[in-house]
Amino acid sequence: MAEERFDVVVVGGGPAGLSAAYFLSKAGFSVAVLERGGRLGSKNMFGGRIYSHVFDKYFPSGWRNEAPVERWVRRERFSLLCKGQAVSMEYWASRSPGKYDSFTAFLTRFLEWMGSLVESEGGLIATGVKVDKLKISEGKVIGVEAGGDELEAGYVLIAEGINTILLEQHGLRPRPRLESTAIGVKEVIRLGENTINKRFNLSGGEGVAQLFLGDFLKNARGGGFLYTMKDYVTLGVVVRLGDIGSSEISVRDVAEDLRLHPFIKSMLEGGVMVEYSAHLVREGGTRDLMDKPYGPGYMVLGDAAGYLLNTGFSIRGVDLAVETGRLAAEAAAKCLEKGGEPTCTSLYGEMLRRSIARRVLEKYKMLPEFMNNYRLYAIYPQLACSTLAGIYTTDEEPLKLWESLSRARKGKISLISMLMDLLRGVRAL
Amino acid sequence: MSSSGKLSVEERLALDKFEIYSKPHIIVDKDKCLKCPEKPCVKACPAGLYTVDEEGRLQFNYEGCLECGACRLICPYNAVKWSYPPGGFGVHYQFG
Repeated sequence: MAEERFDVVVVGGGPAGLSAAYFLSKAGFSVAVLERGGRLGSKNMFGGRIYSHVFDKYFPSGWRNEAPVERWVRRERFSLLCKGQAVSMEYWASRSPGKYDSFTAFLTRFLEWMGSLVESEGGLIATGVKVDKLKISEGKVIGVEAGGDELEAGYVLIAEGINTILLEQHGLRPRPRLESTAIGVKEVIRLGENTINKRFNLSGGEGVAQLFLGDFLKNARGGGFLYTMKDYVTLGVVVRLGDIGSSEISVRDVAEDLRLHPFIKSMLEGGVMVEYSAHLVREGGTRDLMDKPYGPGYMVLGDAAGYLLNTGFSIRGVDLAVETGRLAAEAAAKCLEKGGEPTCTSLYGEMLRRSIARRVLEKYKMLPEFMNNYRLYAIYPQLACSTLAGIYTTDEEPLKLWESLSRARKGKISLISMLMDLLRGVRAL
Repeated sequence: MSSSGKLSVEERLALDKFEIYSKPHIIVDKDKCLKCPEKPCVKACPAGLYTVDEEGRLQFNYEGCLECGACRLICPYNAVKWSYPPGGFGVHYQFG
């Protein structure tokens, strides 16, 4: 049995794991990343957008030119889909509203780039290596076992993603909760740069991020998304797992149902699908966070620790994962310098509690409950479509807004419920 | 060829790259499925790998698995023994 020792072993070559490996190897520590995929990124999948702040602040200043950025998001769209109708809202800005920005990317390619940063700092990345179990001695994690080989480490950073197989196996965290987990599916469609620019009214590397609510979900809670890449469009749907049993929905068909909605179909006309993928998504906000994402000899990063934020108008995973990786690297570095005590990992817990990743999740902590409301998915999209249909029609005499809304909501929802939902929304958002 | 009409899940899975391992990484205890009337795995699997045959029995094929983990969480009877394929095997995303 081969045995090797590193300062830090990272389980999982996703955004969190590679971020930790980058900062640790840059600081001069020996690091090995173990990734089960045959290539970096080959098991990773997401919708399509990354928020730049964490890269702007902590990565080499030329990163924007070197990373495989597809497009910088300049148009934020939100659309409610009904049968043969849609209501949309768009926020356009000639430049980012803040110091930082967001861009579209393929996570597969983006992780290959992050991996190249790790390797240029001397970190080791082993792909095609699945970690079978943690090596534990006297209650401390001292390494990992993978395919009969053992690797020892001062600290093990667990960044295994949402399916926390390793953590669950050792009783370190329960499986994701059905009620707060969703399944996301994505289709990648090649459309060509010029066609995308024309159809989505874009120029010079600008991109669109678009989210959808509506009847394509068949009364299950969830939403759709569309992101423009340079030559491709990604289109997908996220559905709550807990709703699937009682709904008419069939996950294998739901992305096609969205793609063939007439409002979207015309945007993608002539496109060629090149890939279909799926991944679980956390929806629980702070409720999915591990109470203690560390223990003797180990720290838990990114999605595995529960770091994902879905506000309904934006979805943040990669930036939060990278931030947890950066903090774990900082904590591990400090601990190693102090002699590498296994219990020193509580430092990571403290840093995480004060982190921006934790703060944004806390800020939206009332949101998951607000988003649990079925009316958001089953009633409001149709209400918006019917109300606008009423004010835009010129049959005989047009309807005034209030009149149209009253007709649209008749028998579906009371004014009181609407006001309550509005208040809840304002508080949660 | 443009993808204009509805594509079946088989047609879409044919676009993906797989390195199929000789043994399944997911084992379904089909005896448990006999007493499960809802079989939510059938609706939840994004690859449509869970099907019900003419006699009402559950059938499962691991080839084409997108390794999402939905079946593991949704099974009400804990009948799905779930793991990832060995390192380097399984689905191989290029546009993830």
